[in-house]
Amino acid sequence: MFKTAITEMFGVKYPIICGAMMWLCKPKMCAAVSNAGGIGNLTAANYETADDFRAAIRETRKLTDKPFFIAITLLPSMRITPEHHKMYVRVCAEEKVDGIEFSGTPLDKVAGMEAVELLKNAGVRMFHKVGAVRHALHAQKIGFDGVYAAGIEEGGHPLNDDVTTMVLTRKMVSSLKIPVVSVGGIADGSGLAAALALGADGVMMASRFIATKECEVHDNIKQELIRRQEFDTVIYGKSIGLQGRGLKSKVLEEVLAIEARHGGFEELIPLLSGQKVKEAWETGDVDYAPLMVGQSIGLINDIPTCAELMERMAAEAKEHSARAAKLCGN
Amino acid sequence: MKTRITEMVGIKYPIVLSGMSWISTPKMVAAVSNAGGLGILATGPLNAEQTRESIREIRKLTDKPFGANASLMFPGAAENAKVLLQEKVPVINFALGKGDWIVKEAHKYGGKVFATVVNVKHAKRAQDFGTDAVIATGQEAAAHGEDVTSLVLIPHLAENLDIPVIAAGGFADGRGIAAALALGAEGVAMGTRLMTTKESPLHDNFKKLTLEKDVYDTLFSKRFDGILCRVMKTDAAKHAIKKGLSWPAAFFNSQDIAKQMGVPYFKLFLGVLLSGYKNARQLAFMANAFKAIRVATENGDSKTGVLPVGQVQGLIHDQPTVAELFERIMKEAKSAQAKVNAALD
Repeated sequence: MFKTAITEMFGVKYPIICGAMMWLCKPKMCAAVSNAGGIGNLTAANYETADDFRAAIRETRKLTDKPFFIAITLLPSMRITPEHHKMYVRVCAEEKVDGIEFSGTPLDKVAGMEAVELLKNAGVRMFHKVGAVRHALHAQKIGFDGVYAAGIEEGGHPLNDDVTTMVLTRKMVSSLKIPVVSVGGIADGSGLAAALALGADGVMMASRFIATKECEVHDNIKQELIRRQEFDTVIYGKSIGLQGRGLKSKVLEEVLAIEARHGGFEELIPLLSGQKVKEAWETGDVDYAPLMVGQSIGLINDIPTCAELMERMAAEAKEHSARAAKLCGN
Repeated sequence: MKTRITEMVGIKYPIVLSGMSWISTPKMVAAVSNAGGLGILATGPLNAEQTRESIREIRKLTDKPFGANASLMFPGAAENAKVLLQEKVPVINFALGKGDWIVKEAHKYGGKVFATVVNVKHAKRAQDFGTDAVIATGQEAAAHGEDVTSLVLIPHLAENLDIPVIAAGGFADGRGIAAALALGAEGVAMGTRLMTTKESPLHDNFKKLTLEKDVYDTLFSKRFDGILCRVMKTDAAKHAIKKGLSWPAAFFNSQDIAKQMGVPYFKLFLGVLLSGYKNARQLAFMANAFKAIRVATENGDSKTGVLPVGQVQGLIHDQPTVAELFERIMKEAKSAQAKVNAALD
């Protein structure tokens, strides 16, 4: 019943894509989203060796015969090196995965145009998550299949251009030829309908998928997302040149206090470690590590299954568009 | 187009002109109302007498419904609001304060009251004391939004309120309107888009700048006027934000304001002092911002002037008349909506 460039490109039921989430986007969760008619996400940085990564792709394929995305973040990190990035690209090409969500540095700058060619020849669809038209134009130029327009409301690392999804989607759609998917601030069918009205061909959500039955995270975290509202996230990390949006918590208060007194990178690193995030997801302690969720948590009120969520979003999108259609005289 | 807002107020299009100081003047208000939208007079820079004259001028220029705003944080705003009530202005839009008494008085003559809000809590409170609609300001808006963006704020308000929601922040074209309607809004408020029309009194220098600047060319800071405020990124704005509050400048600029309001300076000064340090600091900030905005809008001085604009400045590429703009927007909205329908079938 949905027909957009995204549903056509991947042959899926809904133009709803799960965004990358470190430690959470693993085979079971990924397959749950894809089986429900959307496009699931397997986040590469969960795996440090080619064998583990390949095994995860194959495990996901056992759980679903539907398309899913691999997420590869091309940013320097303590654990994941440029060598890892190249390995991920190679394995994706060998395994002929359906699509890749890249974020961070452009792929050609990290691994050369040969990486782009390699993936293209393997039939892998390439999307880059960007916060500015100039970055999107680069992706288009090197042959990417689409972009994710990520607004300032998204959890994770929104670009410090600080443009909101509403404005960015509009700007991208009028500046690009390739499909645009809206990211940031979307958690229900009205957001999906709005993104389509702005000219997007789909939406990507991450925070919303944490509060689903299939997400393997401590129940406290899911309950906390229901409790917290849209004003309960905060931007931090401006002082170190990599801003992030996460759930307001004791640890992020501490981070902001260190930044306010111009404390350095070394002081912040222990508080921002990815390993601690993993522990927080497992123990359910929201004050232990920065949990990178977006403003859309204000729209989360329950813990459905992925299938329930997507069916409901589709129905809501229909209902909201029907109302808008009536108002527009369509 | 028929929405709860067009029906409530009796207008053709669900588009509201934001009340922008020195821009939403009687002529501009009339231009918007005559073109089928709802013009809102900005009373921030006016004293009671000027407010009354402005309303009478609007009535000479249009027989269509219009509104006027009252930013209750400003000195003199309550007096202006009383004038609006005496003149039976069809729509009063209050912001930055509690407008329950305005609602009570306006309803006596059949007037409608809109509250400008940035969160659900304030919106619910406004609904509880009888406000007829809310204008929801997202982060991307010009001037005073907060952190939450329109995409998140509008559906949350629409879901939690019985009164209609007018979306403000991020809207400049028909696709935006179609999106706002999809999110549950009943109309949109436009400031930045309307300030770049033929009828807008904004100085040409800044109209030109608005056309040149992109979506990311704004600054959002508490250090311009004391609360979160989005302004065009210019050298003057960067300088003002870097400097923060200057008390000596506030001393001089507030004398200008006293003159403009027609009140003796010592009376304004005393009133502000008695309102407590926090409020005095806020008003001192605002006094300086007032000056910077006035020289931008009226004189086009880009060296010291600062202009509040929304991120949508990057979506604006021309300077149509208000009537041309509205017709185009409504056509675009209809076709954008039709495309959504096609994607859903």
